[in-house]
Amino acid sequence: MSENLLDIKNLTVYYYRDGKPIKAVNDLSFSLGKGETLGLVGETGAGKTTTAKAILKLVPEPQGKYESGEILLDGKDVLKMSKGQLRRMRGHDVAMIFQDPMTSLNPVLTVGEQIAEVVRLHSKVSRAEATKKAQEMLEMVGISGSRYTAYPHEFSGGMKQRVVIAIALACNPRLLIADEPTTALDVTIQAQVLELIKDLKDKFNTSMLLITHDLGIVAEVCDKVAVIYAGEIVESGTAEDIFDRGTHPYTEGLFNCLPRLDSEEGERLNPIKGLAPDPMNLPAGCAFHPRCPYATDACRQSNPKPVEIEPGHFVKCHVRGIGKEDA
Amino acid sequence: MLRYVGKRILMLIPVMLGVSLIVFCMIYFTPGDPAEYMLGVDATPEAVAAMREQLGLNGTFLEQYIRYIGKIITRFDFGTSYSTHRSVTTEILDRFPNTFRLALLSMVVSAVLGIILGIISATKQYTIFDNMASAFALIGTSMPSFWFGLMLIIWFCLKLKWFPPSGFDTPAQWVLPTICLGLGSTATVTRQTRSSMLEVIRQDYIVTARSKGQLESVVVLKHGLKNAMMPIITVIGNSFGVHLGGAMLTETVFSIPGIGKMMVDAIAIKNYPVVQGGVLFIALCSSVVNLLVDLLYAYIDPRIKAQYSKKKVKKPAANQKTKGVA
Repeated sequence: MSENLLDIKNLTVYYYRDGKPIKAVNDLSFSLGKGETLGLVGETGAGKTTTAKAILKLVPEPQGKYESGEILLDGKDVLKMSKGQLRRMRGHDVAMIFQDPMTSLNPVLTVGEQIAEVVRLHSKVSRAEATKKAQEMLEMVGISGSRYTAYPHEFSGGMKQRVVIAIALACNPRLLIADEPTTALDVTIQAQVLELIKDLKDKFNTSMLLITHDLGIVAEVCDKVAVIYAGEIVESGTAEDIFDRGTHPYTEGLFNCLPRLDSEEGERLNPIKGLAPDPMNLPAGCAFHPRCPYATDACRQSNPKPVEIEPGHFVKCHVRGIGKEDA
Repeated sequence: MLRYVGKRILMLIPVMLGVSLIVFCMIYFTPGDPAEYMLGVDATPEAVAAMREQLGLNGTFLEQYIRYIGKIITRFDFGTSYSTHRSVTTEILDRFPNTFRLALLSMVVSAVLGIILGIISATKQYTIFDNMASAFALIGTSMPSFWFGLMLIIWFCLKLKWFPPSGFDTPAQWVLPTICLGLGSTATVTRQTRSSMLEVIRQDYIVTARSKGQLESVVVLKHGLKNAMMPIITVIGNSFGVHLGGAMLTETVFSIPGIGKMMVDAIAIKNYPVVQGGVLFIALCSSVVNLLVDLLYAYIDPRIKAQYSKKKVKKPAANQKTKGVA
């Protein structure tokens, strides 16, 4: 079925330091349909950004290595693309909004040039037309077109993020990867930027992979959610599946971490015990078992397979998946 | 921006005064008497005293210094060479074209070669190219130029007879001195480019440029090199400034009539006015080149430009607005 715009199958990416592998992404699979928004949720260091960069084949090499798996974009494996194919894909089919707007713009080029650059790369237009298009993009993200000649240092963080968004959307990509697009911004700007991304996405019917650790943003924007832990998807399903019927102990833990307005006075937050595992030294069996309150011997011995507990809702857990396998 | 340049030029005055004081001081306390040196050991004390008076070497240190500076300020007179009896200004200006040509040639060669080698070695880090460039840089910085110059002469002038060993008038005569002088700076520029580029190509905006589908070569040159350029320009400017004041060893080895050779000869015969004038000239060259380098920074990095012209920042913005209305 090629209905899906993006199909990631068993992707494994390691980084190497002193010859030892850092297991950033382990046997990770998910798919994303046309026009859908998938939220990829997980702690810092869970492999979210590596996954995102892998889709553009931008994991820094030679430190990073794609060990196995495929990333099918419209049925074509990104990891097997030639350099020319990659260049035509990047920015045109798939565009990325980077995490930190402060550092992801080139300080010595004007913001306009940086938007026009991607326009000129993917459509045969004259310099003047590219400039015009770049000005339009600036207007679209709410910055006056006359600021075309401004340099990044003249902009605030929120404005820089708007420019980054304008670059990403300039060629109407079919897939937009937003890597924590609002983490570096303060709350009032966060809301504006999210609203902007949502509007533009609807306008161009773009699919989006939203990477975040903020469950609030996921609830607001995403159709589907995948929870990532130690480079593996531990639970995936529709937003309702995860928010209302979250089953994996880790998902449960994530929601327990959220502060609640209606909590009793003096009630404390309920964090997940322990720390995220060291990707150089992942625990045997299920990577979450040392922190899992329900862990059994089976969890310590073997890594569970994903089980479909209701249509489209997958859980990778010995305890929670069991029994429903046959149902 | 103009205000900034004006300020920097005014700041040259105390710098030059300071340099002149230090040089004057050092020469004053150097043992040996040029008057005696010029007249020979048989001269009578009276003749020596008369000569000292004529050379302006009588009086206390302060008197001599004030007399020297006074002449420079009022008549732009840096004194007269003891050996040729021509004014120091003429001596310097006569030799400057040779020195300037040599400095410029070796700067262009070292900038082009150094930046290319540095980029290759940064983008192919830890490969054979990188190791070879690093080895070249190590050899280049550690090889003394007088020895390297002599080796060049032995091989290319005496054995192969490709180039003449001395003089600096025809292009064939330019080749060896340029190589000799350029090798050291090429090595420094290579090392600086490598480390600067290595830092820059790990930046997020480089990943952004790649994510746009940009050619890798454009990513490296347009997005990388421009950001890495500042320390590279500093290194290039520094060595250019120093070489403008004369490459003493290279000029001496290849017998090039330039500022460096003039200084070496002048020191040997205690030709004080030439030494003083020469050092002042070297200081001036370095300061001017430094100023140019700082202005280049502003051209490359808009953040620095904004700093230089803080008060004028609003003007272009206002212009833009009126343009928009029109």
